[in-house]
Amino acid sequence: MLLFRGPHWDQGLSTDELQKTMDDVMAWFEGLNQRGTVKGAQPLSAQGRTISGANGRFVVDGPFTETKEAVGGYLVLQADSLEEAIEVARTNPALRYGVSVEVRPILAECPIFARHPEIVRRAKERSVSAEELWATMAA
Amino acid sequence: MNATSTVKSDYLLLFRGNVWDRGLSPAQIQKVVSDWMAWFEGLKAEGKCLGGHPLEEHGKVVSGKQRTVADGPFAESKEAIGGYFYLTVADENEAIEIAKQCPGLEYGSVVEVRPVTDVCSIRQRAEEYSTRQFAEATA
Repeated sequence: MLLFRGPHWDQGLSTDELQKTMDDVMAWFEGLNQRGTVKGAQPLSAQGRTISGANGRFVVDGPFTETKEAVGGYLVLQADSLEEAIEVARTNPALRYGVSVEVRPILAECPIFARHPEIVRRAKERSVSAEELWATMAA
Repeated sequence: MNATSTVKSDYLLLFRGNVWDRGLSPAQIQKVVSDWMAWFEGLKAEGKCLGGHPLEEHGKVVSGKQRTVADGPFAESKEAIGGYFYLTVADENEAIEIAKQCPGLEYGSVVEVRPVTDVCSIRQRAEEYSTRQFAEATA
């Protein structure tokens, strides 16, 4: 998954620069799409809410999309390796204007499993997947 | 939500703060994980969640004109994204209500609820800008 951060890269750009970069970004995306490597991609609206606390008792506006860290969109990419995904990320035309691209491998299993091998071992002893074991326990 | 909001009612839930398992007993961890999986399966069965995945903790961040590749994000930070759900629901309130059910909230997880859009906010701003310029030029 590629997470595009810093959704205000257009600030300070001239209309021509902005138009050119947007065209480049669209062409970049279309190129990837035609290669069949894009499994999904969407921009995210600047509006949103952030939920925290037990039972979600804190609901606040945000995130603050003005920050450089805010996520402005995502792209799920099919790649053979992290390196390949990084090479794709490096060709993003908006990087020169301050966008950063976080490249994160998508997992089938929660990494919490890896931090708690005893739970996974117990699942294996019962010849079921960890998911099945937990599903059984949840029932 | 203002008038520029998405017409689709699709939302991305981004799960942040992925070290909620620290300090919990194996039994507590199993409870949260099984609750989380039951929550996910339930939403999928209701047709409200089209998919979701955990992300590997270690990825890379690509940024700058030199297209520098750095380690990151720091999974230990409370802001790091650990996974996502893609929701199709009636409205934002329903997305927020679903987010409030996240079993990790009690242990420090934070859920960001973001409307998925069809139009990139930069394109939207560019169009607004050119409309304004046109209006000023013809005033």
